[in-house]
Amino acid sequence: MSTIRAGRSRDPSPGRTRDGGPRRTVVTGIGVIAPNGIGADVFWKSTQEGISVLDRITREGCEGLPLRVGGEVRDLEPDTMVEGRFLVQTDRFTHFAMAAADLALADARLGRADYEDSPFGIGVVTAAGSGGGEFGQRELQALWGKSPRFVGPYQSIAWFYAASTGQVSIRGGFKGPCGVVCSDEAGGLDAFAHAAGAIWRGTDAVVVGSAEAPLAPYSVVCQLGYEDLSTAEDPTRAYRPFTAEARGFVPAEGGAMLVVEEESAALRRGARPRARIAGHAATFTGPSRWEESREGLARAIQGALQDARCAPEEIDVVFADALGVPEADRAEALAITDALGAHGRRVPVTAPKTGIGRAYCGGPVLDVAAAVMAMEHGVVPPTPNVFDICHDIDLVTGKARRAPLRTALVLSRGLMGSNSALVLRSAAPAPSPRNPTRQGENA
Amino acid sequence: MTDAVTPEELAGLMRQNAGIPVEPAQLADHPDTSFEEYGLDSLGLLGIVAALENRHGSPMPQDAEKSRTPREFLDLVNTSLTKSGA
Repeated sequence: MSTIRAGRSRDPSPGRTRDGGPRRTVVTGIGVIAPNGIGADVFWKSTQEGISVLDRITREGCEGLPLRVGGEVRDLEPDTMVEGRFLVQTDRFTHFAMAAADLALADARLGRADYEDSPFGIGVVTAAGSGGGEFGQRELQALWGKSPRFVGPYQSIAWFYAASTGQVSIRGGFKGPCGVVCSDEAGGLDAFAHAAGAIWRGTDAVVVGSAEAPLAPYSVVCQLGYEDLSTAEDPTRAYRPFTAEARGFVPAEGGAMLVVEEESAALRRGARPRARIAGHAATFTGPSRWEESREGLARAIQGALQDARCAPEEIDVVFADALGVPEADRAEALAITDALGAHGRRVPVTAPKTGIGRAYCGGPVLDVAAAVMAMEHGVVPPTPNVFDICHDIDLVTGKARRAPLRTALVLSRGLMGSNSALVLRSAAPAPSPRNPTRQGENA
Repeated sequence: MTDAVTPEELAGLMRQNAGIPVEPAQLADHPDTSFEEYGLDSLGLLGIVAALENRHGSPMPQDAEKSRTPREFLDLVNTSLTKSGA
């Protein structure tokens, strides 16, 4: 049989390694650009401590808009992130993605020497929800304020959803399968499914994730039509999902890129797997139909568990979507118990995004990063600014909670009706009956 | 002609329109080094052509955006500006 493979694979059949074992996808690198920290370690420290960085939006041109509170990435000068030409040629969302990809590759210790002989073995997948709004605004202002002759040619590539995938791919020399997922906010999780699919089919590694930059005037104006947006003035009260005070969500910028690799290939080059992508499923229930998202999300969870061959009781922590809209919060709490049964009322649930806001597609990717580090540290991070839960779930508030975590479930929904669930497994060896002390190993 | 495009001006346009950090002296000393080697891609050159057209109020020769080196580009553009009497 003659098969054209995307990767350098010499494997006998799709889904199998050269030794005949299953091709599994592991996380080997994490790069974070978030409102509460640059780099995975700083992000995790802030997340674990439950620090809230929600604040008044200060970006130029946003002052007079009725959206007051957001999660801005402030501790970062753009020219320290990327080369000067990308500051001119690409939008802020791409600067974030490129900088996050660099951090992830460094964390994975994946350098050019590792892939210069096999550039087709590494792909790039990002998810995008808003594209390059700031860049687009500048060029559209030139179009209508001056004339078409004043619109720069880079507009043709900078503001599209696919810009970050393309730039990361070109800059790194990654010639493997590339894609951009535009499936709403939950696309941040769907991107991992695409990456795992590429790896199953023969690709060695994928740089995957999402970063967004929706806090510029044009982009903010686009969001003002969302009835679920919180226009509260007080940063500590603006985003309080699962409480009687829930009044919508706070947007954020930033996100994360991860390096995922085929497990045996990663081990061969001496990389350290940090977690395994075990299962995913997605459903669609329509824009703002939050009551119906209950069934959609429950189905996504069930599908992801099935994909991961995971029993509901094995889920040790849930990273909730936590939209902050009463009907949506109710639907999510019910979906968790619909899908996990009685275990759904006992399993710790957390939503660290209440401290940084929702970075659209970048949001669930930040949750994936947090979930990996939660399993590594045996710590469930808390849900900042949230007290007095009015739903039947065990939401971790106040302080972080120590617990041995082997399996994490990350949930995401989009305003346009996408629901996704992703199951992650710890990279630590599975507990065996002969060695029961292993269970508490990472606590 | 005072309106001729100089290597200094081209270096400024490369920086402004494409973010390419090239020194004017470097461009003047190495006019045959390709735009590609300077890091300028075709979109960048297209933007420079448009900027010059806006600045001088006259169209640049069609082939200007296909120039491979600064010398080639400046020769084409300045010949055109001289002809148009700009």
